[in-house]
Amino acid sequence: MSAIQARYFDGKSSAARETSLELDAQGVLRVRGEGIDCSWPLAEVRVSDRIGASRRYLDFPDGSKCETADNDGVDRMFAGQVPAASNLLPRLLHRWESGLRYALAAAAITVAAAVAAIFWGIPALAKQVAFALPASTESLLGRDALAALDHFIFKPSRLPPERQEALQKLHAAMLADLTAGRVGGGGYRLELRAGGRAGANAFALPAGIIVMTDELVALSKDDRELEAVLAHEIGHLRQRHILRHVLQDSVTVLLIAVTLGDLTSLTTLAAAAPTLLLQAKFSRDFEREADDFALGHLARRGISPEVFAAILQRMEDNRPDGKDAPDFLSSHPGTRERIERATAKR
Amino acid sequence: MSELYRPGEPVALQFKGSAGEYFRIWIVNLCLSVLTLGVYSAWAKVRRKRYFYGCTLLQGAAFDYLGSPMAILKGRIFVVAAFVAYALLKEVHFLIGIVLFFAVAAVLPWVIQRALQFNARNSTHRNVRFGFRGTKMDVFAVLLIGALLVPFTLGLGYPLYLAMKRRIFVDNSSYGNQSFAFSATVGDYYLAAMKLSLAFFGFVLGSLITFGVGLLPLYLLLRAYAETSFARLAWRNTHLGAIGFDCGWTTGGLFGLYFLNTLGIIVSFGLLIPWAAIRTARYKLERITLHSAGGLEGFLASAQESVGAVGDEAGELLGFDFGL
Repeated sequence: MSAIQARYFDGKSSAARETSLELDAQGVLRVRGEGIDCSWPLAEVRVSDRIGASRRYLDFPDGSKCETADNDGVDRMFAGQVPAASNLLPRLLHRWESGLRYALAAAAITVAAAVAAIFWGIPALAKQVAFALPASTESLLGRDALAALDHFIFKPSRLPPERQEALQKLHAAMLADLTAGRVGGGGYRLELRAGGRAGANAFALPAGIIVMTDELVALSKDDRELEAVLAHEIGHLRQRHILRHVLQDSVTVLLIAVTLGDLTSLTTLAAAAPTLLLQAKFSRDFEREADDFALGHLARRGISPEVFAAILQRMEDNRPDGKDAPDFLSSHPGTRERIERATAKR
Repeated sequence: MSELYRPGEPVALQFKGSAGEYFRIWIVNLCLSVLTLGVYSAWAKVRRKRYFYGCTLLQGAAFDYLGSPMAILKGRIFVVAAFVAYALLKEVHFLIGIVLFFAVAAVLPWVIQRALQFNARNSTHRNVRFGFRGTKMDVFAVLLIGALLVPFTLGLGYPLYLAMKRRIFVDNSSYGNQSFAFSATVGDYYLAAMKLSLAFFGFVLGSLITFGVGLLPLYLLLRAYAETSFARLAWRNTHLGAIGFDCGWTTGGLFGLYFLNTLGIIVSFGLLIPWAAIRTARYKLERITLHSAGGLEGFLASAQESVGAVGDEAGELLGFDFGL
């Protein structure tokens, strides 16, 4: 077997000595060079893992070691050794890292595992956790949300008091219906506001608050339409969508931070940009769930799903910019898709 | 290699890593980290550090990283457990949160000191270990200046904090029995900070003139300038016995590096992260030079392993690791 050229360091000083290493037939490694001649049974020599073309180290029992760039030579020397379990893994790792094809397979597995985690694993986990947490958790999140919206966007409702009372009655009746039907989810509050910039719209806020704007009430032709919209928002609250959204977002960001951890902040930012698209996907799933809840409610009450489709269409036509964003970017599924889903329920 | 070396001439670090090779190491690390829900990341970190250390050469001899993945995993579990306990307990009562905040503040210097020690003890060159002998009181003093003085002086204390931080780090570091020493004064740091604030004015002005279009490139330029000036200041004032250091980074060089890195990472959806890491390491390392009037080789070969720097002791340390 050919000899390996290596630099010998005794571990007491930083002085380097050029040596050559040779393995004899009895499995004894002989180190010979400037003022050095010693030998060790190969089984007592610890060899560092092979990582790319970086330098390799042979550690001897007395604390001295050899450094060499001859990775193949070291592998040949230790090839006859029965690999201990602890050495098997590094060998496998090196083989995996050696081929471009294996590396591409690793990339595919990583992407598949990450996609599975982000699209199924984390949402399922967030759902479990959100339903296990008491309702008070959400009110902690949204204590000041309504006050902030009141300050920046909304004005007090200008609907006549008797109209407001009628809408509150409708809301209360729906909650009673949900409780009676053992669907659960009481304790939600309806707030009426002049929408300002938000226009004809309805929102579910954490802490169980539903906001409906005067503009939406004016837009509706029938209280059954408002009932459909209310049911959609109750669906959001009942399914704990806000808490689930917060949990999913933070866990996803944490996962990305841990796995891509060795980056500077700037490059992390660049790599995290695709998560914005993912967030849009999450909320579209939530919108679908809320739509399904609303349609279920309408079916129980014997109201045609066309009613929901009608108000959706009118909200869409009433939108100031008037155009739909491409589906993959928007947080709501395209209105046409939602209307189709509603009418398909007939 | 040593035969090319002429006494008295500056010697640069060499970096032998390649982007293609590191890509394969990186992607396997990433794959196993994701599949093990992050547990493997401790092993991945060691493998990554060993690759970069093993590719960095001084006078033909490489560096080596000896940190044990198990120690790093334990350190990470400790930090995560402490964080979760804090997050949960502060919800129970706000007073518990305040008490825990001070408890964390009291433990932090110890954790940082251990992390610096772990990193130094586990780094070797020519089979001689680096060391860090700073105490937790040293770290505490620096943190106190950072946390108290800087906000209360509206940032005027920041250069003082930077100078203190570097001095504590360098003065307490060693290679074998040789100590590093730091010679920059606080005044040097204030001068650099003054130039930086002028550059910051240019950044604000340029962003306004270009109506915000130039914001991102100008920010990268400002960052490159800040990093270059403080790195040069730090390296030129670092000494190891008779050896001095120099740093040849330039603002333009770092700007070009970061600009292309950012562009490449965005365009490749992150696949060029390893390429960016290798380019950055090559640029930064190969522009660090060592010089000594009396010759480098003799000095480098004469460092003795310091007494008490035993591997076992380093192995017992929890592997706290932050970007320190």
